[in-house]
Amino acid sequence: MTDVSQESRQQQNGRIESSHHPETDSQRQDKNYYGIPPIKKAHWTWQIPIYFWIGGISAGVQLFTTLANVLGHKDQALTRIGRYTALITMILSPILLIWDLGRPERFYNMMRIWKLRSPMSNQSWALLVYGNLSGLIAARQAAEDGLLGRNFLSGLLTKLIPARLLGVLALPVALFVGSNTGTLLSATSVPIWARNWAFMGPTFLASGVSTALSYLSLVLHLGRWGEKKTHHVLRRAERLTILVETALIAASLVRMGKWGKPLFSKEIAPLFVGGTLLAGIAAPFALLFGRETRGKSILASVLALLGGLAFRFAVVLAGRESADDPEAYFSFAKKENVVEPQDNI
Amino acid sequence: MATGFLTDTTVCIGCKACEVACKQWNQIPADGYELTGDSYDNTKQLSGTTWRHVAFIENPKKRRLTGDVDLVALAEDVREQLPGGAELDALGRWTFMSDVCKHCVEAPCQQACPTGAIIRNEFDNVYIQPDICNGCGYCVPACPYGVISQVPHDGRAFKCTLCYDRQRDGLEPACAKACPTNSIMFGEVEELKRVAEERVATLHDKGYTEAFVYGTPEVGGTGGIGGNHSKFILLDDPETYNLASHPFLPQAKVKGALVTSAIAAGVLGAVVAFAFRD
Ligand code: SF4
Repeated sequence: MTDVSQESRQQQNGRIESSHHPETDSQRQDKNYYGIPPIKKAHWTWQIPIYFWIGGISAGVQLFTTLANVLGHKDQALTRIGRYTALITMILSPILLIWDLGRPERFYNMMRIWKLRSPMSNQSWALLVYGNLSGLIAARQAAEDGLLGRNFLSGLLTKLIPARLLGVLALPVALFVGSNTGTLLSATSVPIWARNWAFMGPTFLASGVSTALSYLSLVLHLGRWGEKKTHHVLRRAERLTILVETALIAASLVRMGKWGKPLFSKEIAPLFVGGTLLAGIAAPFALLFGRETRGKSILASVLALLGGLAFRFAVVLAGRESADDPEAYFSFAKKENVVEPQDNI
Repeated sequence: MATGFLTDTTVCIGCKACEVACKQWNQIPADGYELTGDSYDNTKQLSGTTWRHVAFIENPKKRRLTGDVDLVALAEDVREQLPGGAELDALGRWTFMSDVCKHCVEAPCQQACPTGAIIRNEFDNVYIQPDICNGCGYCVPACPYGVISQVPHDGRAFKCTLCYDRQRDGLEPACAKACPTNSIMFGEVEELKRVAEERVATLHDKGYTEAFVYGTPEVGGTGGIGGNHSKFILLDDPETYNLASHPFLPQAKVKGALVTSAIAAGVLGAVVAFAFRD
């Protein structure tokens, strides 16, 4: 007490102080510019996480139906649903992506050029290839199903389109689309995404396969279609995939370290912890054990699907928080933390 | 020939003439009347509608003035021992910095751009072709300096063009032309690099040993992006100016991510195939 008053008396006795008082300026303790974000977050709105979700489902459906085909498991209902799903998702995806553009009428500029370094460019081309392949395959299926009528054209389509071969060709492209949704995010300056470059693609793909298996199981159950074996395999595959997905999410969290904090923030924790981890992974996993009933399977599928959607939203929203946090960016963009070409992980 | 800027923050007086000149010449729309309430700076940051931004930095690290301060010495920028044991740092308490697109040598925004709208023009500047850009917004989070943003109501992304149009007519960019203290210098990158080194040496001689050039691969970061064509002479840690000390190339790991994704695809394929086993 006495010291303080002594100090202030001295100041009044002809001593000059600068007009600026650092100790009273709490803003200036941390090194940044008034907390204004040093990088800009992506503007992407709800269409993008939904596209990520749909793209993942599409990749997973392609994986499961192609493998069923190759491994000689012939289930008409499964093949049909797989082929129509691929087409529908490949119609929805570009619509969502074009919708989100600032200048939607110029979407075709994506096709001016192919840049291997740009995940967005790779994705556009992959969608174009995969979309056209799934269109052809679905056309053959429609002809077989008699949706195009019994005329010369459908006969021609059935004869000319080698659907099984095209399905095998489409598989790597579909898997690329599924994983690239994650890679696309990691190739930015946003700390939480960039830090986790190695696991973003794999995690999105695993989550995509898990949601796809749930989707197939859900549709087959709702329509009371599909062979018993199909249901059985879907269930078994889903259990294993959830394990892979959980391991990848755990690895991601370890890799993100302190930059993963936004996932547990007040706004995002409900989506990530509640929606993804508990409702989307733990609950369906538990439901997949024990006696197999239709009700339980449907519930598990719905939960896994919504969990996958919550995951996409959580990751995209966490990226916004991460980009808005100067401390996160500055501590990441330091020599010792930053991702460099020569780093292994 | 590569052209660029050298922004010497030690002589910047914060007049914001560069911001105004840039807005006028390039006919950039207004940002709206938004005051931070934190400082005298009312434009806050670079964006699609602010291609030059003068940061007003109140610096807390500097000692306050105590003792019998010689105001003449203060004004004349003297650093010798002052009468009465006064301590002062004339430049330290208030710094300005006119920020701009760094025109990175390996520009992350350009690598991200899926339409090829972002190019390097004949002056080796990073330029967004407004007639190509379709507003995907991928360059926005790619830029390690937060330079680009999408302009609302237009939809496209914009940033400093380094006055491409003026350069083509042999003129220097509007901001450099308007700068009254020559804080903003325009010229050939190599030439400016030399000027920067000389200026930093002079500053060191005067006692400002903290001065350094930001934007060269050797000093002051710019790890994976090969340096900047817009360089800065700074007197403090880059973070103080809202610049990262070691910005990186976000696309450095696209190939690596493809490999890990392929492995994951293989594992998931095996897992699903395994489930088919009877
Ligand atoms: S500073 Fe940003 S906008 Fe400018 S060239 Fe570099 S990445 Fe592109």
